[in-house]
Amino acid sequence: MSSRDKKSWDASPDMPAGHFVSGDVYTDPDIYKDESEKVFAKAWRFACHDSELPEAFDYRVFEQDGQSLFAIRGEDGVIRSFLNVCSHRGAKLLDQPAGNAKLITCFYHRWTYDAHGHCAGIPRVSGYSGDVVSKETMGLREVRTETLHGLVFVTLDDAAPDLTSFVGKALDRFSEMLTGQPLEVFHYNRAVLDCNWKAWHETNMDLYHEFMHVVLRKTQVNAMPMKDRKLIVFKNGHGGSGGDMKAAYDGYKGFAGRGNDIPPLSGMAPTDFRFINLFPSTAIISRGTVVRIDTATPMGPDKTLLEMRGLGVMGEPEEHRRVRQRHHNQYWGPFGRNVPEDTIAAEACADSFRGHAGRYQIISRDEGLTGQDDAVLRAFYKEWALKTGRDPGQPVSS
Amino acid sequence: MREFEPIRSLVGRSCLALDDGDFNGYLDLCAPEFAYRIVVWSPELGKDMVWLDHDRDGLAGLFETLPDHLQRSGRFSRHASVYTVEEYSDAGPYSVVSSVVVHHTDLGGRTQTLAVGRYLDTVVCIDGAYRLSAREVALETRDLGIGLHVPL
Ligand code: FES
Ligand SMILES: [Fe+2]
Repeated sequence: MSSRDKKSWDASPDMPAGHFVSGDVYTDPDIYKDESEKVFAKAWRFACHDSELPEAFDYRVFEQDGQSLFAIRGEDGVIRSFLNVCSHRGAKLLDQPAGNAKLITCFYHRWTYDAHGHCAGIPRVSGYSGDVVSKETMGLREVRTETLHGLVFVTLDDAAPDLTSFVGKALDRFSEMLTGQPLEVFHYNRAVLDCNWKAWHETNMDLYHEFMHVVLRKTQVNAMPMKDRKLIVFKNGHGGSGGDMKAAYDGYKGFAGRGNDIPPLSGMAPTDFRFINLFPSTAIISRGTVVRIDTATPMGPDKTLLEMRGLGVMGEPEEHRRVRQRHHNQYWGPFGRNVPEDTIAAEACADSFRGHAGRYQIISRDEGLTGQDDAVLRAFYKEWALKTGRDPGQPVSS
Repeated sequence: MREFEPIRSLVGRSCLALDDGDFNGYLDLCAPEFAYRIVVWSPELGKDMVWLDHDRDGLAGLFETLPDHLQRSGRFSRHASVYTVEEYSDAGPYSVVSSVVVHHTDLGGRTQTLAVGRYLDTVVCIDGAYRLSAREVALETRDLGIGLHVPL
């Protein structure tokens, strides 16, 4: 039981590979570049919920791997996505985060595009000689788009396996909740955090930090025996709860009776807690009556765009919506009881690793996929290693 | 012209109380029917969102639990300027619109703007004392960084 000297502090922990993570994964610019090329340019990533595009020609702009994209619903009902870039001289096409456009007109020289990405008009096209520049050749760059359980995913990789093989069985336990009633997004917020994207996403995968949140200390850690909790990991780096965890809301002031006042989501009990993390950085978390979807998008080794959505039942009575919003806000959103604590944790770790004072993260809790096992974190880093070709414990050669 | 100084002072004192963490002092400025909401327009969703929604008891409960929470360190400074006061009738209530800016000063003493918006207050006069009967914080700022536990 002694403090440690530099040699001891800097030495990699004496534990199996995969049970610890070097701080370099959060700071090294080459690793960041690798992640961009080998993870984010390849993976299927959540873009938006299909209820955000209810009508034909509704669009939604979003970011992916440093690029601006938009999803748009065609007159045929199909959602397609494109780089938000004009084929002519590269101007960003859509400025508003959402809207409706039968024809998308680039403000610069007024080329136009339709919801299929076809170029629909080029003013004074006769001025171009040859046939390289024409409506036929100047369509937008389409990005593969698939919808599963109302969740719209995109990949920048034209050769990626299809979405269902990427997701595998990871969303099976969420299908009823997500499709048993029509859902809509009632909460959306963005926050730029001063941390690596993984530092945020780890807060979604790490159950052990329940102890940080007073709400969870009082309502969750003792709500059921730890050994009866089930965690599950899937292929491709996804992982989450394998059975429902329970919350005892009476334990926290103001939460008593939560969920008895409005119908829970399909297949959920009001006190159920269920979550899944989809590699690389999307989390779906439900607490009985509401579901949260969050996505972390890297903006640099040390900057992350966090987007958070809260979903409720579409068309529900106003008084139900008000209660559901309240349930959401009890835990989540910028004024929630939990989220501002998670962001503090993510930035606190980033602070240490930025200056290389922090050297390793230990993710070696092994409770046989129960309790507060770190298995979900390990599954994430196993996939990360596969994709980046680096050992998370020693990602840069010394 | 009517003298609205007591109403200006009420809005100012509500800022000072929250800045100083004097939550009982804040509640003292609120009428029993007090309703507090933070409302934010989302251009992404094309609708208003509610980010916090409490009655007086709910707010009191929130204040009571604050010390148990892991909270953003530093201090918040709310700056409100009362722009308009409208009377519904001679006896009130009054509709009060203030512009509000919230700054955050970290433990190193560095101050940054956290949020801008408006207080849309309903003020009543009870036994000669002005009290908040409703406050809607209409936030312009939607990225609050790591977020916070205290009302604005
Ligand atoms: S850049 Fe879009 S029309 Fe010229
Ligand atoms: Fe958390």
